[in-house]
Amino acid sequence: MSKLEVKMNKTGDQLNVQMTGIIDEDVDFTQFNLVGNQKIQLNLNGIRSINSCGIREWIKWIGSAAGAAIVYDQCPKVIVDQINMVDGFLPSNAKVNSFFVPYYNDESGSEKNVLFRYGTEFKEGSVQPPPDVKDDQGQVMEMDVIESKYFKFIKK
Amino acid sequence: MAGRQFSIRYKILVLMTAITSVALVSFVFMASKIFREDKMAYVFDSTSNLSGTLAWQIKNQLNSILISSKPLFDDYLQQREFSSVSQIFFKNDQFLDAVFVYESDKEISQLEKKSVIEKTSGVADEAELDVFSQLNLNRNLLTKTDKVIAQLSKDSRLILIQKAENKESQKLLFFVMLLRLSEIEEMFKNSLAQKLYLIDGQGRILFGAEGDQGQKLTNQIQLRFLSSPQKLAQSVEVAEDSKKQQVLVSYSRVGFSDLYVVSTVLQKNALSALDVLLRKSFIFFILLISLTVMVSLLASSQLTKSLTTLFEATKKVALGQFNFQVNIKSNDEIGTLADNFNLMASEVSRLLGQTAEKARMENELKTAQTVQETLFPQTYSQLGPLEVAGFYEPASECGGDWWHYCQVGTKIFFWIGDATGHGAPSALLTSAAKSASSIIERLNVTPGQAMELLNRCIYDVSRGRLMMTFFIGAYDVNTKELSYSNASHEAPFLIKKSEEVLKKKSLIPLNEVNNPRLGQARDTKYAESKIQIDAGDLVFFYTDGIPDIRNGGDEAWGEREFIKSIVNSNKDYPSAQDSVKRFSTSFQDYRQGSTLVDDVTFFVVKSLE
Repeated sequence: MSKLEVKMNKTGDQLNVQMTGIIDEDVDFTQFNLVGNQKIQLNLNGIRSINSCGIREWIKWIGSAAGAAIVYDQCPKVIVDQINMVDGFLPSNAKVNSFFVPYYNDESGSEKNVLFRYGTEFKEGSVQPPPDVKDDQGQVMEMDVIESKYFKFIKK
Repeated sequence: MAGRQFSIRYKILVLMTAITSVALVSFVFMASKIFREDKMAYVFDSTSNLSGTLAWQIKNQLNSILISSKPLFDDYLQQREFSSVSQIFFKNDQFLDAVFVYESDKEISQLEKKSVIEKTSGVADEAELDVFSQLNLNRNLLTKTDKVIAQLSKDSRLILIQKAENKESQKLLFFVMLLRLSEIEEMFKNSLAQKLYLIDGQGRILFGAEGDQGQKLTNQIQLRFLSSPQKLAQSVEVAEDSKKQQVLVSYSRVGFSDLYVVSTVLQKNALSALDVLLRKSFIFFILLISLTVMVSLLASSQLTKSLTTLFEATKKVALGQFNFQVNIKSNDEIGTLADNFNLMASEVSRLLGQTAEKARMENELKTAQTVQETLFPQTYSQLGPLEVAGFYEPASECGGDWWHYCQVGTKIFFWIGDATGHGAPSALLTSAAKSASSIIERLNVTPGQAMELLNRCIYDVSRGRLMMTFFIGAYDVNTKELSYSNASHEAPFLIKKSEEVLKKKSLIPLNEVNNPRLGQARDTKYAESKIQIDAGDLVFFYTDGIPDIRNGGDEAWGEREFIKSIVNSNKDYPSAQDSVKRFSTSFQDYRQGSTLVDDVTFFVVKSLE
């Protein structure tokens, strides 16, 4: 059984792709053809991890849609880390529409992922985090990333 | 095989022989018991019938004699002598030889001969003394009963005494008849299957086999029924004779005086057929056992032949020979066992081959590990104004991480990279990187140029199948600037020395430039950037295996703890060596000896000036 589940649904000229699971050396992207689509929207909320071999396969796969306008939606931290670190993981014809930012409170140990949306919490070159992110007990949470590293892809 | 000399073949033989023997012996025992009981019942039945018939016949005979003699007695009682009519009547009687008449008082104290009649002259005289003697002997008996049977002592003729009363003289008369019962006597003498006796109440033999007459049968056989208060008309018993032999006794009361007809058969004679049965059974037993032994040997030979083949095969296996097959064609469990043995032998042979191959590969990996260890620099060094300390631990024998430093003129180079995956293929790629770096660092190139050359090398070696993330930094001792180029590697953190408390936000990722990974495309150009390094500043280089470190519960250390540990290890801006020591202690405490999922590499550079 594959560790990655991919659901593809074409609406008009847009291909919607929902991905869930793990991207590693066992993944076979050749069965998910991206060629010939004008717009591709990838919902990556379900991706739990990706390793170096998975990155290699991802870059090959996403590179096969060179002519399409690609949007990454609901990127979890593991994806944002790769976008920041690996050149080509977010190709020039792709942009991030929304991504999650992890928050935590060190005292209570509470954690939360806050979705940053293009045009609301961020836009080209700048980030405007919500003023106060609080946990269920009303305690203020802080960002669980190094901002200069995590938001690097926005400021490029 | 010591102590296992008793083979299955002999066990089968013993088992089958034992079963057959026990079955046969049990059968013979039960059969002989039933036969013995049945035979004894048969003998008792037949002898009882015979004794009963004889008793009935004798009773009838004697009664008939008494009835036929009654006119004779009546004639005497009237005439006080035997008349001529009585003489004629007597002459025609075939059983009577003579008739004596005695008179006595009622107490029978004095017997007086009154008359005699005889068939042949002199017969009476010859027997008179004997007759008188028997009459005297039975006086007591005659006081209680009317008739008594006795026998002459010198021949086999019987004496029948009939008591009568002379009413005129008030005296007792005794008619003593001398009887000749030759036919009945012959029947007793000539019996073959059993011995027949006519005895009186004291056990005296009246008729019997030749030579037995007049003797007491009780001296020969212990007859319990004579002394028993219960006087049965007919019964049987097992008695013992004077030679301690078992005798089957049947008796019938005649019903005339105290006479009995007794039939005796020696038990051993009656059961002689049982001996024949036992002898024949023994012969049959020997034949059957012989047949069983032969069949057992034949069957066990067939069975143990296959087992012996398997046994020989297991001995070969014990000597380490697995590359052979046993040839047993059988559809039973032995055949299945042989098939499974062949399967096991081939599987063991295959596994041994695999084990040998695995051992060879492990040896090669050990060698590769030893070789790879030479690719890494010393874990601590001071290069001009910089102090360097590092840590490396592969997840398996050979790792895909590599780090290196060197000083060329006024430049101090720092190299750190992470090949795709880990293990032997990745280790080979790091070897190529090390070889290339040895040349590149002598070419007076910038980090971007060095990365470009290294990329070509990696691309040519891996042909796009393996890639490396890489970070190269070059510190200029004159300008104190760190130029760097990044090929999609984790950005190192610059920790600027400050009076303020070190926080997470104080960490400066060196991520101003980023480029494709090495080996992704051959002619990639690599941009570079630079940053000022001041005295007391630290730079933390690392690979992505560190946040993936797992504890015993398979929980990842995580980026938050990783960053916290960097901050905590460098709060007081320690020496590079102390920084490395603190940081490694931190994750080793969390790890608790668990296996690494990825290679772990990091090193710290501290500016001393």
